[in-house]
Parts: sequence; structure tokens; C-alpha cells
Amino acid sequence: MLILGFDSATSACSAALCHDGDTLAHRFEVMAQGQAEFLMGMINEVMEEAGKGYGDLDLLAVTTGPGSFTGLRIGLAAARGLALAGDLPCLGITTFEAVAAGVPETEWDGATLLVAIESKREDIYVQLFAAGLEPLSAPQAVLPEALATAMDCPSITEERVLVVGDAGQRSIASLKGAGLEVALSNALGTPDAGTLAALAARRWSPNSPNERPRPLYLKAPDAKMPKDGGRLRP
Amino acid sequence: MIVLGIETSCDETAAAVVNADRRILANEVFSQIDEHTPFGGVVPEVAARAHLELIDGVIETTIEKAGITLDDLDAVAATGGPGLIGGVLVGTMTAKAIAAVKGCPFIAVNHLEGHALTARLTDDVTFPYLLLLVSGGHCQLLVVKGVGNYKRLGTTIDDALGEAFDKTAKMLGLGFPGGPAVERIATAGDGQRFSLPRPLMGRPGADFSFSGLKTKVRQTIEGLPPGDLQEQDVADLCASFQVAAGDVLADRVGNAMAIFQDLHPDTDQPVLVVAGGVAANQVLRHRLQSLSSEQGFHFIAPPPNLCTDNGAMIAWAGIERLRLGDTDAMNFRPRPRWPLDPDAPPALRGNGAAGAKA
Repeated sequence: MLILGFDSATSACSAALCHDGDTLAHRFEVMAQGQAEFLMGMINEVMEEAGKGYGDLDLLAVTTGPGSFTGLRIGLAAARGLALAGDLPCLGITTFEAVAAGVPETEWDGATLLVAIESKREDIYVQLFAAGLEPLSAPQAVLPEALATAMDCPSITEERVLVVGDAGQRSIASLKGAGLEVALSNALGTPDAGTLAALAARRWSPNSPNERPRPLYLKAPDAKMPKDGGRLRP
Repeated sequence: MIVLGIETSCDETAAAVVNADRRILANEVFSQIDEHTPFGGVVPEVAARAHLELIDGVIETTIEKAGITLDDLDAVAATGGPGLIGGVLVGTMTAKAIAAVKGCPFIAVNHLEGHALTARLTDDVTFPYLLLLVSGGHCQLLVVKGVGNYKRLGTTIDDALGEAFDKTAKMLGLGFPGGPAVERIATAGDGQRFSLPRPLMGRPGADFSFSGLKTKVRQTIEGLPPGDLQEQDVADLCASFQVAAGDVLADRVGNAMAIFQDLHPDTDQPVLVVAGGVAANQVLRHRLQSLSSEQGFHFIAPPPNLCTDNGAMIAWAGIERLRLGDTDAMNFRPRPRWPLDPDAPPALRGNGAAGAKA
């Protein structure tokens, strides 16, 4: 099964082509912005390097967020275009799952995993996982100082907590302040297309519903309703 | 030669298929008006989210209605700017992806060039011609000398005319988008009742200014007798606003016609093309039509559905570019600002004016 994975949800850009568990070609670059310029080029490069055409693909995998709104749109619009033109199924994987899947089992070692993703605003995006990528909380946006109380989950208070993600540093102080045993993972803080494609290979079944991947923003658009629709007087 | 055009730079998610014989095989426009109406205007983040949700479905429908498959395409064109960047990103990334899979060229079209070349799709106009581009985001006069070759004669130093229409409607509680509402209600009004300013009228050049007109509309509304706004007052104000806007347009376009004839004295039959959403306004259209016959210009305004934002104009501009072998690489970066004439001097500025947007 030939899977093309790609990500531009946070401050990186990556593409990978995987065949039955082997990575045939892979590109990853730290990139705070500008993925619109580079993503399709990277995708074409991994296809060419592996000597594959789009017609050879069986599945697409893309991160659905949360992350930078712009980054999500870049990846998901590319995914929708590729899926439409290639008549391909596309599996959406959240940024939380993609980052969590990058943490090696040895490091995980029974801890509760907190994935903390940067929103580039005051709050951070967080979700808790147990081993095997089993979610222990719903994805949510919280202020770092409210982290320990916001995570309404017994395991975060009872267990050792391993933190991963590009907002990991911002989360740790708050959790330590709440008296928890916390460690910062050495794993990559952003999604990587290689991990994404591997995860997609494990998850996909031909019976999976063929839905278009949808963004997980975790935040409503920042817009205020004008008073009386902007009307000056009755 | 068949090209798919994708337009996502404002609040319409649109796609069209056009061929080199100037035939529109399909032209789908999905308006997001319902999603923006509660906010009284286009909210960029709301628009960007809607574009992503709609884009592949709109393209699929367009291809189906055109009776072709994506394999039949010779290129995929998408608006690459100027406009709201979130939507432009969605359109360009989708277009790049389709082009990559189908192995055909990707073309990033300047949205303004889409409007500018529409008259060649509808009326086969030859270069050069005078263009008035007037919409919610733009108000400029240009000489269209060729594909990618423009000379800007004037632009707005503050608001676009469509913006002034929308804001007038908003202040009067006529809803969004305001242009069609103002036009409709103005038919019952007296356009001479309120004295409104005609900014820059009588001055040389072809620049525009509409913020003073908008401010006076606000002051007039505030100065009406206390109590609820009366229907007749609203209609008279809409009509007066539209007459003032028409006077300004006619004055500035008149100057531009003279400049055009100085620049291109050998043109046998000079042509004025009007494009952009405001060109759908029938009163202004007639005004410009009369001006054209007075000045010996042939007047061309594409049908209203090709004046407002649409994918056909992007597909057509794509065909014009493809014929010249002018395509874009996968690393094209969407451009929130993208002037048609990068060499144009900055528009003269009023006090505190932000200057031209594109």
C-alpha cells in the first residue's frame, strides 16, 4: 500500500512516501511560515525520488489541526485537490495524534502523555493520551496557567506526565506548579509526514468511511457582530 | 484548449471551465453571503473557512456540468491575489494539487487581470482599451495594453466605490451586500434632495476618493428628524448617493478618456470596458454608456454575472496566459497585494488616507 503523507499544520513542512511500512522518500523542514510555497514542491520531490506517479498512490494522509489556521488551510486544500484529482481516499489525522505518534515507546514508558500545540496566542492546544494513542481527554484550547485544572482527568494527577509538542515548554511550568512529576519529551514537537504516513497505514482499512478531511480549528473565527448590524439609527 | 479557473479571493467560492473559442462550458459561483450577513460585511476568517469547506465540491460540480473530466484540462488557473489571503491560499493550493496530479500547468492569475480581460472573453475586444475596474475592493482606471501589460491612470486614494455603497447600506440598515439594496431602493427616491459632495470632481487626473461622500452620508443620516428613519428619506438618500457617485465616476472616466486618446491617438475606435461588481449597477452603467457615446467611445460591460467575482474570468485569463506560454511554478506564493501596474506612482493622498490597496 503506497501512502503519501504531508503536513503544514504548525511550524514545519514535510512530505513522505511510504510503502508497506518502508519510507521510500522523505522531506522535512522547520518552517514558521511560507508552506504555501514549498509544500507542493516537496510532495513532487518525494514522488520523483521514489519514482512513483500519482496514479500509483493508494492513500493520502494529512494533519487536520489544530495549529496555525493558515498552515491547516495549506495542507488541507492541497489534500482536497490531490484527493479530487487522483480519486484517492484521504485520512485526516489530528496534530495531537501525529505528534504523539512520534514519541518512542521507551520514552513513553507508562507515563500519561500531554500533547501541547502552539496557538501563537495566549492559550495552547492540548490533549492527553495513554499508551497506544488512547485519548484521555478531548482536544481543547486552554491557558497554560489553567492547564492542571482544565485537564479533567485523574491520570494527570496520579501519574508521571510526559509533555510533547511545540508548546511543551509553556506547559511545563504550570504543571510543575501544580506539584506534578513532569518531563519534556525529546521527540519532535511538530508533526512529521513520515510518522503520519506510518500511522495512516495502521489505521486505514478499505472499509473506512471515505470522507474529506476537515480542519480541527478548536477556535471560532475572531469576529464581532456589529451592534444592530452597523445600522446608525432605528 | 480548456482551462479550469478557480476564484476564492473574497466571499465567492467559484470555479469555471472555459475554452479558447471563448465558450464558457460551466460557471459555478457559490456565494457565502449567508455566512457573512450577521457580521454586516465579509469576515476574512469566516470566508477562509468556508472556501476550504466548499472548494472541492464546487470544482467537482463545475467539471461535471462542463461535461468533461479533469484529464481534459490543459491548465488549472486560480486567483493568486490580490485579495483575502486565506481564501487565495485555499484556491491556489487546490489548483496546484490538481495540476500536479494531472501533469498540466498551474497558472496564478491576478484577480484584477481576470476582471480586466473579461471583455475579451465576452466581446473579443482588441488591445489597447480603457478599463474602469470598480468593485468592493478596487476602483481604478487602467489602459489595458496587453496580457500582463497595464498602465494605471488613476485609483482610489481611500475607499473603493463598492465599499462606499456597502457602508451606505449598512448605516441605513439595508443589509449586506449593500450595493444591490441601495440601487433597488434608490429607484423610489429623489436624487436631488440631499446635497452630497463629489470628491475630486473637476480636478485633473483620474484618481478617485469616496470617503468624504461616505462621511456626508453618515452626517445626513444623523441629521434627519428624530424618530425612526422614514422610508422616503432612505430612498432619497440612496438616490442622492447614487447620483453623486455617478457624477464622480463620469468626471473621472471623462478625464481618463482624454488621457487614453493622448496616449493612443491611432486607435480607430476607442473602447471603454467596465468591470467589477459595481459595473452590475444599471444606473451607473447607463451613465457611463451616455458618457461613452458623447466621447466617441465604444462601451462594453460584461453581463452582471461576469462583472461580479467568478471563475470564468480566471479561466479566461488562464487561457490568455497559457497561449503566451506564461505559466507558474509550484512555488508560487499567494500575493495579498498585487498591482496590475507595478510602476504606477502612488495615488495622491488625502489627509490620513491609507493609499491604494492594489
